[in-house]
Amino acid sequence: MSPMIFQTALYASLVLCALGLAWRVSAWFRVRVGPDARAVTLSRRVAAVFQGIAATLASRRVFQIPGAFVLDVLLQRRLFANEKLRWFGHLLVVVGFTLLLLMHALWASVTVKLFQGYQPTLDPYLFLRNLFGTMILVGVALLLYGRWRRRTGLPQARRRIDAAFVALLAFVLVTGFLLEAHKIASPRAFYRMAEQFIGTTDAEKLMPLRALWASEFGVAFADLKTPIAPHLVQQGRELHRDACAFCHTPPASAFVSYPVAQILAPVSGLLDQVRADIWLLYLHVFACFLGLASLPFTLFFHVVTAPISLLVNAAAPQRELPGQTFPTPTLSSAVRASRRALALDACVRCGICDMRCSVAPLARYLGNPGLLPAHMLQATAALADGSLLRPGREAGALRAAEGAFLCTDCGRCTSRCPVGLDLADLWEAARGDLAAAGLPAPAQWVQARAALAWAESLEAGPGQYIFSAADAWSAPLSADRRTFSRCVQCQTCTNVCPVVAHSIDSEHGVDLTPQKVMNLLRLGLGDLTLGSRMVWDCASCYQCQEHCPEGIRVADIMLELRALAVHRLGAVRSLGERS
Amino acid sequence: MKYALFLGCKIPSRLPAYAASTRAVLGHLGVTLVDLEFDCCGYPARDVSRDAFVFAAARNLALAERAGLDLLTPCTCCFGTLRHALRFLGEDAQLRARVTQALAAEGLAWSGTSAVEHLLPLLARKVGVDALAAAVRAPRTGLRVAAQYGCHALRPSNVARFDNPLAPTIFESLIRATGATPVDWPRRLDCCGDPLHQANAPLSGRMTRAKIADALESGAETICTACPHCHLRFDAVQAGSPEPSIRTLLYTQLLGLALGLPSKSLGL
Amino acid sequence: MTGARRDSFDVAVIGAGMAGMAAALFAAERGLSCIQIGNGGSLLFASGLLDLLGVHPVAERRLWQSPYAALAALAREQPLHPLARVDAHSIRAAFESFVTALAAAGLAYAPLGERNRKLLTSIGTIKTTFGVPLSMVAGTGVLDARPPCLLVDFRGLREFSAAQIAATLGRSWPGLRHQRIEFPGCEGAPELYAAHLARALETRETRARTVALVQPLLGDAQAVGFPAVLGLARAREVHAAFEAGLGVPVFEIPTMPTSVPGLRLLSALEAMLSARGVRRRHQASVRALAFDAHAGTATLELEGISGGAGGERVFARAVVLATGRFTGRGLTADRGGVRESILGLPVHQPGSREAWHQRDFLDPSGHAINRAGLEIDDAWRPLGASGKPAWPRLYAVGSILAHQDWMRSKCGSGLAIATAWAAMDQVALALGGTGAG
Repeated sequence: MSPMIFQTALYASLVLCALGLAWRVSAWFRVRVGPDARAVTLSRRVAAVFQGIAATLASRRVFQIPGAFVLDVLLQRRLFANEKLRWFGHLLVVVGFTLLLLMHALWASVTVKLFQGYQPTLDPYLFLRNLFGTMILVGVALLLYGRWRRRTGLPQARRRIDAAFVALLAFVLVTGFLLEAHKIASPRAFYRMAEQFIGTTDAEKLMPLRALWASEFGVAFADLKTPIAPHLVQQGRELHRDACAFCHTPPASAFVSYPVAQILAPVSGLLDQVRADIWLLYLHVFACFLGLASLPFTLFFHVVTAPISLLVNAAAPQRELPGQTFPTPTLSSAVRASRRALALDACVRCGICDMRCSVAPLARYLGNPGLLPAHMLQATAALADGSLLRPGREAGALRAAEGAFLCTDCGRCTSRCPVGLDLADLWEAARGDLAAAGLPAPAQWVQARAALAWAESLEAGPGQYIFSAADAWSAPLSADRRTFSRCVQCQTCTNVCPVVAHSIDSEHGVDLTPQKVMNLLRLGLGDLTLGSRMVWDCASCYQCQEHCPEGIRVADIMLELRALAVHRLGAVRSLGERS
Repeated sequence: MKYALFLGCKIPSRLPAYAASTRAVLGHLGVTLVDLEFDCCGYPARDVSRDAFVFAAARNLALAERAGLDLLTPCTCCFGTLRHALRFLGEDAQLRARVTQALAAEGLAWSGTSAVEHLLPLLARKVGVDALAAAVRAPRTGLRVAAQYGCHALRPSNVARFDNPLAPTIFESLIRATGATPVDWPRRLDCCGDPLHQANAPLSGRMTRAKIADALESGAETICTACPHCHLRFDAVQAGSPEPSIRTLLYTQLLGLALGLPSKSLGL
Repeated sequence: MTGARRDSFDVAVIGAGMAGMAAALFAAERGLSCIQIGNGGSLLFASGLLDLLGVHPVAERRLWQSPYAALAALAREQPLHPLARVDAHSIRAAFESFVTALAAAGLAYAPLGERNRKLLTSIGTIKTTFGVPLSMVAGTGVLDARPPCLLVDFRGLREFSAAQIAATLGRSWPGLRHQRIEFPGCEGAPELYAAHLARALETRETRARTVALVQPLLGDAQAVGFPAVLGLARAREVHAAFEAGLGVPVFEIPTMPTSVPGLRLLSALEAMLSARGVRRRHQASVRALAFDAHAGTATLELEGISGGAGGERVFARAVVLATGRFTGRGLTADRGGVRESILGLPVHQPGSREAWHQRDFLDPSGHAINRAGLEIDDAWRPLGASGKPAWPRLYAVGSILAHQDWMRSKCGSGLAIATAWAAMDQVALALGGTGAG
């Protein structure tokens, strides 16, 4: 490849990368996640971050940063705590990639300065290149296996571009191995070198050298018959010592490329003819440049975002919670706003948060992966960029909303995230955003309309009497008239209800009391109850059920009505109603 | 005595002191606690899908069953939810079939052999109030304490089987065992308001503040809790409020102090 | 034997109405270990007043000033009436014991005497009763003297109208005034509930504000009457605060069920039973009851009301049926007849369905169906098909008994408390005088 093409492509990739980085970093200050973030201006966010950094540098917390860098960023302590296999795989990838980058890609600026006699065709570089490349491949395989092993029974969150990046990485490695293998086996390469360093391409004159190179260096000469006479090899060795040994060691130590070269031996000539050495090189190098240019937009970006996320955790002032088991940084809302935007980029979709999600069983039973953290994060990102609420995407938006409001805030995802994302804070923000976008928790969207209005909407739909045999399985008490037929309207339930007691003020007041709800059920007017404040303000304290002289399970019925309402009213609900 | 400890979702993240003090106190009293990979008890799903909540609860019970242990929880909300699930599984054969099938798909089985116990009845009945009193080294004499039972501990009584739902005494006797003085307060059995704090924050706040005012007016210095929801609610409502406030203490912390355990181990 | 196992008791009381509660209380006081099954549901309908015997004979609607004199007449004229089978001494002791226990739980009653008292009801009628809560007793005095009086009600509290009471009595009581005020903190509320008001008045500030609202309206009133909402758990304190604040006697007027005094009664009784170690099974009923003559124990299979929550089996050496009548489901009626719900014991009842009721629904002599119930022997044991006690240590108390019409005789509490006492005497006797646990 001509130096000019190489340089141009390199600089172009670097420029694209820089522009991409600038764009992505700017998003951390522009993207708004959470209602409190909407109140903060762009300039305020930028200022807050710089102030925060300055404050940290001036405080004692700055001494925590080096330790955090080593333990969290380099040694990946958080990942080690959760997934040792994937930690090991990741370590292989990081070490392999870094060393390959430094030793192989940057040989001109790094390796040559450290080791004067560097030649790519010498050991240990032959071996090391293969080693590092293999480490990456093995590491990636371990990571993929680790991910597959932890599947939760629900789809894992992923982005197509992640797969593309992994494919690109694999492509770089594979083309690298192929290129090296081809060069090892290529007669054309041999003759080119011979011409340059010995001065001849005459096959007969070069026979001894060819014999050596065929038997020990893997070159596939089509016209050379095996077995090769040992005295020829011996002659070749002398010639080799003078002309080639300075730059070449037997490539058997290239434990991947060498075997591949032997496999390619039969078609070496063909590959030479089609100039595989040229186009493999172009493929290899341009794939790298593509990776570089697209760095800010692929999974690779996490090499920037993850360290920042982890170091922010270490550098931020910590909230003190007696007996806490994981650190909880406190940040001002201006800084937090940016932190959340960063989190959306820093997520590597490893799925570790999903593994021990407390509501994973609920997610599985309800068939809604939206309850799982990795999916919630994607939904949060989609919410932030507006794509969650596009027409035609209602089902996804509803699943995300259900997920957000069934989250129990247990903090397990936060404590396990290897990148140190403050997921608990993100979910709270997401809930606020969902509510503002017309997708609040059921209690809110139901109570946005009056009970009567809901009943009228139901009337427009099929089935007048809301309880049918189909409801018996999910709402057995409410669907069985015997449950409340004994109600004598004694008002005991209402008298002992704390919700009614504290809702005396008519502005906040309940529209129905417990005994009125029971009465409506008796009268077959249950549809009027589904949207009533009483049903949704019920604290399920069970005073009513405990006192009822007829043993009516009032509180159990209230909870059944709620579940029924979520389904029935959900079916007639029009989305996009702003609260 | 050996139990699978069920902490629920609130304690590890929001009130780790409760876990710490529970372990410290029960360890001191010779109760062995085992940690299994439990998940949410299912409470948040109660008003979305009865099936889903029962499944979530049953899954935890199945895990305990597999380990051959009964379940012990310091959270009365989890206690009530798990007990409710047991009730529904007991009375609805079709629900039981559906849940059993879903559990089988995950390699688990529920047959109802694992019981669900709450911390307070365990201390009062299995360990014994007298045994506790005898183990006390630093009685909290003079401390006037209002016992906060929490709703799901007491009601519905045929599910919770905790104590007499209209005139419970178990918590007060446990407080007396520590040397402190339980206070009689009219609103002691009222709901703290926590279940409503998202659905209707003003109403929830009124309920909580009424309880706090009642406790103060009855001469209590501390509200003693046995549920993280109640405990956090009292703290949250009082934080930053100019109104007179009352201290909150978990029972395990009160008992731990009385037993002479170090404050640090109790999360204080 | 008894007491050694956690599920074994001396006495099992089935039913938690007035009779059941009294029975459990008396059992505990006699040192017997006791388990009581059932909800105190019927107590929620209580007015807080304790009737002993107000009307006899029912057909004549004759009111008696002395319940003991009425009891004597009853004994002569209706010897099968349950109250006729308890001697006056025991009745006095029973009531004293009951009321003393209530007082220990913070629910004070005016000292029981020999006479019935009269007091106002929420609809302006005058009721004859025996045991009156201290918070209501000032209302009996004013009924005799009829001094200037103020009746206060709260806007929004339904089923209680001071204006109506004043209107009903106005002609014979010119000094009776009425005023409607807003309950502090509930101004503008469309509907108020008695229990919530009672709880609210347990807060010093709300009390003070209410008193401040009433004070300027006092005028020459020598007593003030309120609906029965003066506190739930702290009734004594609230009542005293009102009297201190207003400077005149204050009396509560019993309200419609479900009333606050009923809730107070229920709470006080539960507290008393809890304090005396009576085991309670709320929201539960007895699915099956069997007797082992050889072992001398009864086995009770319990189940949760309306849905099985934890079947349970308990054992008892004696069983008391205090299951009430039709509302409490101690008796069930269908077209064919009346049955006793748990054991199917023979029920004394009219010979045919047509004889259940008089033609006139409001016939003063009442209806034969109301006098149906279980017949008992002298030891308070219900009779089986053979005419002998169904089981040696099965007893029946309260309104399930035959030959009484408690609503028309105004003897509900008397029936419950007196029969419970008498039956418990028998139980104690049968179990050897003392209990083992």
